[in-house]
Parts: sequence; C-alpha cells; structure tokens
Amino acid sequence: MDNYRQDKLHKFEEFVDRRLKPDLVHAISERDKVFEQQKTFSDLRKHIENLQKNSVTSLKTLVNLGSEVYMQAEVPDTQRICVDVGLGFHVEFSWSEALNYILLKEEKLARQIEEYTHQIASIKAQIKMVCEGIRELLQLPAELTLQEPIL
Amino acid sequence: MEEGAKGTVTSLASMFPADEAQKAAKRVQDTIAEKHQELDRVKGFIADNASLVNLVQKLPEELHHDIMVPFGKVAFFPGRLVHTNEFMVLLGEGYYAERTSKQTVEILRRRGKALETHVDSLKSMIEDLETEALFFDRTASDAAEGLVEIREELSGEESDEGASESGRKEDAHSVSVKDKGKVLNEDEEYARLMSKLEELEKEELAAEAADNIEEETNEVDPDVVSEQSSFNQNLKDWEGSHSCKPPSHSEEGQASDEEFLSRKRQQPALLEKSNPNDPTITSSHKDKTSHGKEPSKNLRDPNVADKSLKLPALEGNDHAGSSNNEVSIQPSKPKFDSLRAFTGSIIERSPNLPINPGETSSTSSQVPSSQSSKPQSRFRMQRR
Repeated sequence: MDNYRQDKLHKFEEFVDRRLKPDLVHAISERDKVFEQQKTFSDLRKHIENLQKNSVTSLKTLVNLGSEVYMQAEVPDTQRICVDVGLGFHVEFSWSEALNYILLKEEKLARQIEEYTHQIASIKAQIKMVCEGIRELLQLPAELTLQEPIL
Repeated sequence: MEEGAKGTVTSLASMFPADEAQKAAKRVQDTIAEKHQELDRVKGFIADNASLVNLVQKLPEELHHDIMVPFGKVAFFPGRLVHTNEFMVLLGEGYYAERTSKQTVEILRRRGKALETHVDSLKSMIEDLETEALFFDRTASDAAEGLVEIREELSGEESDEGASESGRKEDAHSVSVKDKGKVLNEDEEYARLMSKLEELEKEELAAEAADNIEEETNEVDPDVVSEQSSFNQNLKDWEGSHSCKPPSHSEEGQASDEEFLSRKRQQPALLEKSNPNDPTITSSHKDKTSHGKEPSKNLRDPNVADKSLKLPALEGNDHAGSSNNEVSIQPSKPKFDSLRAFTGSIIERSPNLPINPGETSSTSSQVPSSQSSKPQSRFRMQRR
C-alpha cells in the first residue's frame, strides 16, 4: 500500500516536472513571440498612419548593414510598401491595402494570444490539480498514522 | 577502507562511486556542449564580420545600390543606398562615429581579432574539459571494475623516513592526480621520478652503511684469520715436534695420543712436564663445553691450575721445537685442511696450546673453542 502510494506520488511529481511545466514554459514563450509580432504590426500600422498623415512621398533612413554599421539609404517613392506575409513571402501593398492587411493580422494575432493564454491557464490548472492530488496523497497517510496509535 | 599496519588498501569505488563519477563526467560533457555552442556562435560572428568587411569594402565601388529598405521589421520600401562611402559605426554605449569605408574596415578587423582570441580561449577550455571528462570516465570505469588503491608507508626505522615518506605520499598523490588531468601529467611525472630517485639514493646510502659495518667486521676477521693461521702454524709446529712424518701423522698421532692419555691417567704428575702440547691440559680449562662430555677430563680437573701455571714456561720449549719444522711443513699447507679434517685431535689441541699466551684471550678462546670442541669430541668418540 505504501509502495503503491509512493509510486503514485512519484508518477504525479514526474508528470508535473516533466510534462506540465515544460508545456507551460513553451506556451508562454510562444505567446511572447506572438506578442512581439503584434507589437511590430501595430508599430508598422502607426508608422504608415504617420506617413499618411504627413503625406510623405520620399524619405531618407539609415540601413543596418550588420554589426551596427549603418549606411544612409533613400526611398524615392513611399507609395508602395512590401509587407512580410509569412513563410518568406512579401506582398507589395499600397498604404490602405497594407493597413487592411495589418488589421486582419492583428486580429489573428489577438486570437492566437487568447488561445495561448487559455492554454497557459489550463496548464496552470492541471499543475494545480496534480499538486492538490499529491497533497491529498500525503495527507491520507498522515491521518492513518494518527489513527493507528488509537487502534 | 581497511587499515593495516603497513599501509591502506582503498577500493576506488569507495572514494569515487562509479555512478557519481559518471554524473561528474556527464556534467563536464554538458559544459563541453555549452562551450561548443558558444564557440559556434562566436564562429558565426566571425563569419558575419568577414562578410561585412567584404561588403563595406565593396559598397563604395558604386555611387548607389538598389535595395529594399527595411521599414520596421516586417515591411520594406524599394529604395537605394546613397553616400556609399559614409558609414555610421557603433562604438559602444550608444555612441556612433561616421567613418569612411577604409576606417570602418579597420574597426571591423580589430573586432575580428578580438573574436579570434575568444575562439582560441574557448578551444583551450574545451580541450581542458575534454581531458577532465576523459578522466572522469576512466575513474568511473576503474571504479566499476573494482580497482583498489594501495598506499604503503615506509617503515619508521630509517632516519630519512620523513622525507621518503613524503615522497611516497606525493607518489600516491600523484597517481591519483595524474588521472585527474593530463595537463599536470608531466610535472607530476617529474616529481614522481625525483622522489623515486631520492628513495633509491637513500637505499643506496643505507646499503653502504651496512657494507661499512660488514667491512668493519671483516677488518676484524683478518685478525681472527691470522690467529687461526698462527694456530695452524702452531699446529704445524706441534705436529713437527710431535711427529716428524706428517703424512702418517693421523694414525701415529692418535696412537701417541692414546698412549699419552693413558699414560697421563696413570701418572698425572709426569704429564705436566713431558707433554706441554697435550690438548687435554689446556682444553680442560679453556674449553669447558667439552668437559661435560668428558668425565675422564673432569677427573683431571684438579690438576688444571697447576698445569696452566706451568704452560708459559713450556712455551719457549715448544717454540724452539717448532721453528725447525715450520719451514718444512709450510709448503704442504693444503694438506692442513685434510689433516685438520681427519685428525680432529690435532686441531683441537693446537688452539689450546699455551704457545701464544700473549694473545688476546677473547679471540683465542673463542675461535679455537668453536673449532676444537667438535673434533675433540669426535676424537674422543673414536678413542672410546
């Protein structure tokens, strides 16, 4: 009986440590990635809106060549913008098209974030439950040892 | 661990359990993997740096380049690079410097050198770790095989005990250390060799000391030998005086002895004068071990005091007699062994002769007694 309980305890602990916690860490890191993406898209949206507001037709910028070495670059025509749509594909949009796409993308990212949040919550709940199970398993022998001397 | 009087035998497994050693080895392996990752990363930096140097060198060749200008992380504008010989280089801490292509290349080369030294240090670290891992692996396998370590201390007699002991300890220590890392291997080996040499030297010294003692004893020996030879000489003398025909001496001697002894028994008084060479006289007082065996001698003991008193006086007589025969008998020295062998009676007597009263009593009494006691008894046995 005691051995059985020990095995069970061991199994539970292993489940928490080997399965649930890594899952949780993974889900959180995925969600962080999505957060980052959301931020970059919202930044892009703000920038485009800014360009629209100021009706910029050409701009000068510094391009990072790598290792923090920058070179000046100029964009003669800002009407056309290429946006990364994933899997290494870039689509040439006008500003309004780009804004539409960004809107859709942001919605999708928000959904993803919600999903991940839900997943994280469920994993946390599972961990809590298993911990509760372990606590119960540990409590029972405590009761038995209390009863035994009385009997 | 077993404690012995001489040394200790420790099984390697008790000091370094196999699984522990394996754990340690695994940890070292993990560290090595980490270092390898870092090395790869740094190597990537170096490659990037090289390609950047290439790029920076090439860009000023043209007035402008058509590129996609990044706008944020996910968007690009089609555009072009202008002012191709002007670079903004990050110096660190948010400070930028405007440099030309050449100057930028110089900066990048310096960065490349720093990266290379980093790579070198990483490589040496990895090497060290690998030897460490090797040692742990070997220790684990040794422990699994049930290897034992034997430590033995030198016995405490030697005066140089402390030094050699420390050498021993160092020796044992070095054995274990040797496994730990080959980095120290050469030093350890040298120390071990030196300690071994020291030990050998000490052994040599000890052996020399022992030799000296032996030599001293040997130095004493010649005296003994000379005494013996003098005894032999005396023996010859006596033989000469006793019988002029050495070859047939044994029988004659025995016969004469017997005659003589029987005479002695009958006439103790006469014996005193006529037979100064008689062994029984001197042996009776010098060689007491033989007395017990010889009840007949015990009978004569009462006379001993008188006889011994008279012996010195007889010496001259004997010497005079012996000097004649000495020359003639000396060439036949080899015979003496045989003579000694078969005429035990002669040998037994010769040392006891009063011829050399000046001799130190200790040597004269010691050596002849051991030599004479046996032949005497043999002779007596023959006689009786």
